[in-house]
Amino acid sequence: MSIAAVFPSRTLRCVAAAALLFLGAATASAKTAIVLNSDDDSLSVIDGDTYKETSRVHIGRAPHHLMLTPDQHYLIIAMSEGNELVFIDRATGAIAKRVEVSDPYQIGFSPDGKWFVSNSLRLDRIDIFDAATFELKHRLPAATMPSHIAFSTDSKSVFVSLQGTEKVIGIDLASGATEWTTVVGRQPAGMWTDKAGNILVAVMGSDYVAELDPKTGSVLRHIVTGRGAHNFQTSPDGKQLYVSNRVAGSVSVLDPDTLAVTGLIQAPGGPDDMMFSPDGSQLWVTGRWRASVDVIEAASGALKATIPVGRSPHGIFLY
Amino acid sequence: MIDGLMHLIGQVQGIVFENAIQPALYQLGLMDWAETIFDGLEIPLLGVLAIGVAYLLFRPLELWRPVERWAERRAVRTDVIYTVVHKLGLVPAIIFLMLTPIGAAIDGDLRFHGYIPPAIEQMLPALGAWPFVTFLVYIIVIDFGEYWRHRLQHRLPWWWALHSLHHDQRQMTLWSDDRNHVVDDVLAAVWAGTIAMLIGVTPGEFPLVMIVFRLIESLSHTNVRAGFGRVGGVLLVGPQYHRLHHAIEHASAPYDRARGCNFAVILPLWDVIFRTGRGERVFLPTGVAALDGPAVRCGYLRHQVEGFRRLGAAVAKLVSRRRPGFAAAFPAE
Repeated sequence: MSIAAVFPSRTLRCVAAAALLFLGAATASAKTAIVLNSDDDSLSVIDGDTYKETSRVHIGRAPHHLMLTPDQHYLIIAMSEGNELVFIDRATGAIAKRVEVSDPYQIGFSPDGKWFVSNSLRLDRIDIFDAATFELKHRLPAATMPSHIAFSTDSKSVFVSLQGTEKVIGIDLASGATEWTTVVGRQPAGMWTDKAGNILVAVMGSDYVAELDPKTGSVLRHIVTGRGAHNFQTSPDGKQLYVSNRVAGSVSVLDPDTLAVTGLIQAPGGPDDMMFSPDGSQLWVTGRWRASVDVIEAASGALKATIPVGRSPHGIFLY
Repeated sequence: MIDGLMHLIGQVQGIVFENAIQPALYQLGLMDWAETIFDGLEIPLLGVLAIGVAYLLFRPLELWRPVERWAERRAVRTDVIYTVVHKLGLVPAIIFLMLTPIGAAIDGDLRFHGYIPPAIEQMLPALGAWPFVTFLVYIIVIDFGEYWRHRLQHRLPWWWALHSLHHDQRQMTLWSDDRNHVVDDVLAAVWAGTIAMLIGVTPGEFPLVMIVFRLIESLSHTNVRAGFGRVGGVLLVGPQYHRLHHAIEHASAPYDRARGCNFAVILPLWDVIFRTGRGERVFLPTGVAALDGPAVRCGYLRHQVEGFRRLGAAVAKLVSRRRPGFAAAFPAE
């Protein structure tokens, strides 16, 4: 039976094709990367051994981010202009389900897995769902450009950067009430909850990361990383924290305990989302402006490969 | 080849943005515009490509067998400025920075309320396996819309007041495609963009579709004594076919703008279906009989102001409920 027969809609069909390719590639390779090309509406599958793009599939409108479900059974691909989340079963590579969500740009699960938050950067909205049923619990206006997401360690609050302002907002997940808003600097972007439970904000319009008190939103300190501080990723062993600096074209390495900067890696091309290889030896970085993905040796910071992909690559996941 | 070309454009886009535009945005505190402006940068880059290809392919034709030769080419130089401004600068900036957010908001709200525009492959599932055919279908559907936009440009007095700027050129060349009033260009972008959105043309595909239109329109305005013959002339709008549309006789009795002919942009098929095609194998002078003089043979800015004047006159006539004649609507200075 053809894919077209099983999946009547183009979006589903393309995602199915991508998922099957993805699964096939995954079985043949030690590691496989999938990259969402947000301006091409496509997904690139990359062989992690040869560093070659093995396929590129039209997937649906404006795919930006992807993540695992808390039980790690499904990979969710969020298509913002497609208004849907597509759940791919990691075991079979098949589409398990899709959920209609209005303009899902950034997505995230609370640490306890009870809440799912989806930000609409374009429509200035934050949607809070019951993660078990995907029932919409709260729809909050959020001027402007609600972007990245972090959660409190107790899963009671979500923190969202408002990229069109200088602010971060803290929201009580159960009630949907605003706990605080605080000014952190121009165009706040990436969010992260550090080991101490404090909130880190990458301030893209400047060159630093702001550390916030999750209870009050007060700014505790600034850590200078590089111009256009944008996003976070931690190493699998938790011993390093990485910050992409979009304007500087670099990735800063931080000590996750002290937040001291311990290293700097060159990653030109508008570094954005980052992901580690399963063995923790390589850091993969999407380059928004150069339509490529950089593979960096984590230990040495040396560039291992630059892989051309589609336009404006954003989210990345390594199998 | 197209993939390779688009990849090359993407690389240039990235290098220009990363080294010239992004640092400026950072200094100005406008990094929240970074992704929008990065996407918009593709438009002038594709404009450079369209101009380069058109010049390399069609300019030799004009030198080889021109329909007309002119000692004084000032009017042509105005059209060159039109091409540069409208393909690379002002108009793309207006269209992209003003209309894209509006279009995105409308699109988002439609989707939010449950209307997800159907892609053409969903209406014709067989197209799913043939992306090139799908691309051709996009062009055919948008071209159909362009035919009717063009009919309205000639039919509605206020729209003709704007579109007459395109037609008042008596030295029509490959550059004349962009000789349009800025308001007319914005209307054209809204028209084509809406159709593209409704049939599911993706943001990545739309610039390519537009490139095809731009190249064929440059060719159809080329000052060359050539057509596509009896068979080819039915399949694709060429210089001879489109010159008849621009022919000065259509501004004179018994012809007028509404009864003009050969409105098709790419496919003459629409003129055949709606009985607006004419097939005389002649190469007539171009222009509008009632429009000549300094307000026609002038520079870019004065011509744009002249367009507003004509629009104002046409609207005034409509408001006063007097039916304007062709020349009376906006008499030449």
